[in-house]
Amino acid sequence: MRGLRKVLTPFAPDQSGAVSVLYNLGGLIVIIDAGGCTGNVCGFDEPRWHGARAAVFSAGLRDMDAILGRDTLLVSKIASAAERIDARFVALVGTPVPATIATDYKALKRMLEKKVNLPILTLPTDGMKLYDSGESVAYKELFETFAGDDVRASEGEELILGATPLTYGDSYTDVTLEDIESIRGRRLVAASSSGIEAARLTGKDYEIRSSLAEALLAKEKIEGKVLVCHDEVFGKTLRDGGCDCDIATFFTLHDEIRQEGDIKITEEDEFTSLALSGRYDVIIADNCLQKLAKGYEGRWIDAPFFALSGRM
Amino acid sequence: MRREAVTYTAKQVAELGRDNIPSELLSGQGLVYSSPATLAYNSPGAEGFGVKRAGLSVPESVMLIVSPGCCGRNTSIVSSMPQYEDRFFYLLMDETDLVTGRHLTKIPDAVSEVVSFLEGQGKAPRVVMICITCVDALLGTDMERVCNACEAKIADTGIRVRPCYMYALTREGRRPPMVHVRQTLYSLLAPMEKDPRSVNLIGNFAPMAEGELQRYLLEAGVKNIRQISTCGTYDEFLKMSSANFNIVTNPEARASADDMSRELGIPYIELTRVYGIRKVALQYQALAQAAGITIDLADDKQEAEQAVFDLREKYPDLTFNIGECINADPFELALSLLRYGFKVDEIYATLAPEKFRYVAKIAELSPDTKIYCNMEPTMLYYDVSSSRAHISLGKDAAYYCPDIPNVAWNEDVQPFGFQGIKELMARIDRALGEVTA
Repeated sequence: MRGLRKVLTPFAPDQSGAVSVLYNLGGLIVIIDAGGCTGNVCGFDEPRWHGARAAVFSAGLRDMDAILGRDTLLVSKIASAAERIDARFVALVGTPVPATIATDYKALKRMLEKKVNLPILTLPTDGMKLYDSGESVAYKELFETFAGDDVRASEGEELILGATPLTYGDSYTDVTLEDIESIRGRRLVAASSSGIEAARLTGKDYEIRSSLAEALLAKEKIEGKVLVCHDEVFGKTLRDGGCDCDIATFFTLHDEIRQEGDIKITEEDEFTSLALSGRYDVIIADNCLQKLAKGYEGRWIDAPFFALSGRM
Repeated sequence: MRREAVTYTAKQVAELGRDNIPSELLSGQGLVYSSPATLAYNSPGAEGFGVKRAGLSVPESVMLIVSPGCCGRNTSIVSSMPQYEDRFFYLLMDETDLVTGRHLTKIPDAVSEVVSFLEGQGKAPRVVMICITCVDALLGTDMERVCNACEAKIADTGIRVRPCYMYALTREGRRPPMVHVRQTLYSLLAPMEKDPRSVNLIGNFAPMAEGELQRYLLEAGVKNIRQISTCGTYDEFLKMSSANFNIVTNPEARASADDMSRELGIPYIELTRVYGIRKVALQYQALAQAAGITIDLADDKQEAEQAVFDLREKYPDLTFNIGECINADPFELALSLLRYGFKVDEIYATLAPEKFRYVAKIAELSPDTKIYCNMEPTMLYYDVSSSRAHISLGKDAAYYCPDIPNVAWNEDVQPFGFQGIKELMARIDRALGEVTA
């Protein structure tokens, strides 16, 4: 049945992706929820939370706030916090609750701009899409708010986009607001699916490359026909490194990466069919997917993918 | 500008009065800081028994979580525990479901597929819990009706299907999720002939630690002491209907006890977990009177007093910081420790008006005890350096006080009564001893 998960737990949602991009940028991040979504983000999808305190807050919505659409109360709570917290911007991150009550983010932004003297970012994530979508939304909002027009240093320093902990685990690379401000002058590397979306927004050329996949290629000798189930950039980097692989991904598969044999998958059964098709000598994927490939007799190479398994 | 966490002393709060508790100490007044306590409290699958684990307290049950993917994300923490393997399933909602409500028509087929899947593995369930979340709270979903449709779909199996409401939005309402889920669990019980020698302990989802309460009941002639967590099978769980009376050990089970009194004819008596020896003794005396039994608590009371005395003799100036991720009411615990002669420097807990009575008494004994609220945004700037505490209690307190010993005291198995006091004193002694060793 479409949408039914019998083996895997749900993957990292878009709101986790959005927060992952914003997390270390010095903003006051408000997740518009009753508390559970914030718990999922900080308590599970954001490994950096365990290392240092961060200004990530739940809006603490209650039923009547949602039913009556008490935006004024929400604005008042945020304004009160903004007075007492040092922040460079305020980001509103959506969840299923504002999606259900059709929250008007533009109106919220206008209301907040009258009360808070900081840039306001609105990210209408809804918890029903996947993390790469949320990361892309966050990059777009950051670029529209902070990207400068300086293109003088077009051959400048490398800037890696899309290397958040959700794709890279503890090998993540943070982007700073200064990076965003100077992005038009930087040499861009798209390190994941959301990195491609982000790089495209700049209108500049960019390189597509995953350091995770490069590390795997350096470590493992991979022979035969391979199925790689990970982020698309991870798969492309393996392919570029000489690996004869088909890419299957639960996340976005861009046309510029897709080749014959590559596939975007959604359901558990789709992965099972691929794994047991007899076409692959090697599968490179997070070990959590092994439960879907019972009976597969080829070589399995573990490629941890936090957005799937929550494993670093 | 120097930023710091908002705090009030017990004296300040007491002087303001129950009706004027500072908004920074209350729930629901502002944005909620992502502290360990609020995450554990807000994220039902993350720690302890939230709706998801609680819903699976019934033996031989499985859960289908019908929600946007984000709501089930952190369930993988729970799923990795051996006792929850093959017990969580998900029907993921998309945006079209949200607009049209079509996901509701898919649930019976999903339940049927899950049951078939489990039957194929020789793990047929007796109960399927359908867990729904904030989205369906706002859509006004009639989940009882959906569950009835599910039972009809798999009528040949006799499997029960019941709803679990993980409605974080209603946390401060009259029937918050943790009250409701208990009602759901015990609603599976059907009237049964009474066994005068059977008693239920209801309120917690993990067993109560072996202690004097069970002994008092056995000495009074009780043969069967049932807790949902100690029932090995669904049939054993159903025998909870035969109880002569219920002992309610958590106020969140009061509504369930009312239901069982009305539907099953089982009366109840409520015992609160407290750390004041005198209050524990009074509760047992009330239990003896209500149940018509004799309880000799002198030895247990004396042992608890001795444990407190020994710790105080060993550490006469012992000073605590106390959090709220703990098997205790942090304000009651603070007051008890002060009454024993210890000191309490800081408390990290949300102050509900009904707890004000404790703060008023704390203010008399220790007016400078500082109260912080875990939810308050300025806890981002909390600085422990000015605290004089030697040890912290509560898992969340360890987060704020990383450089002093900590007794988390938040395990699933629940401490109670004199036994709980003795064990807590022993754990404190051990934690302090490990530092000096």
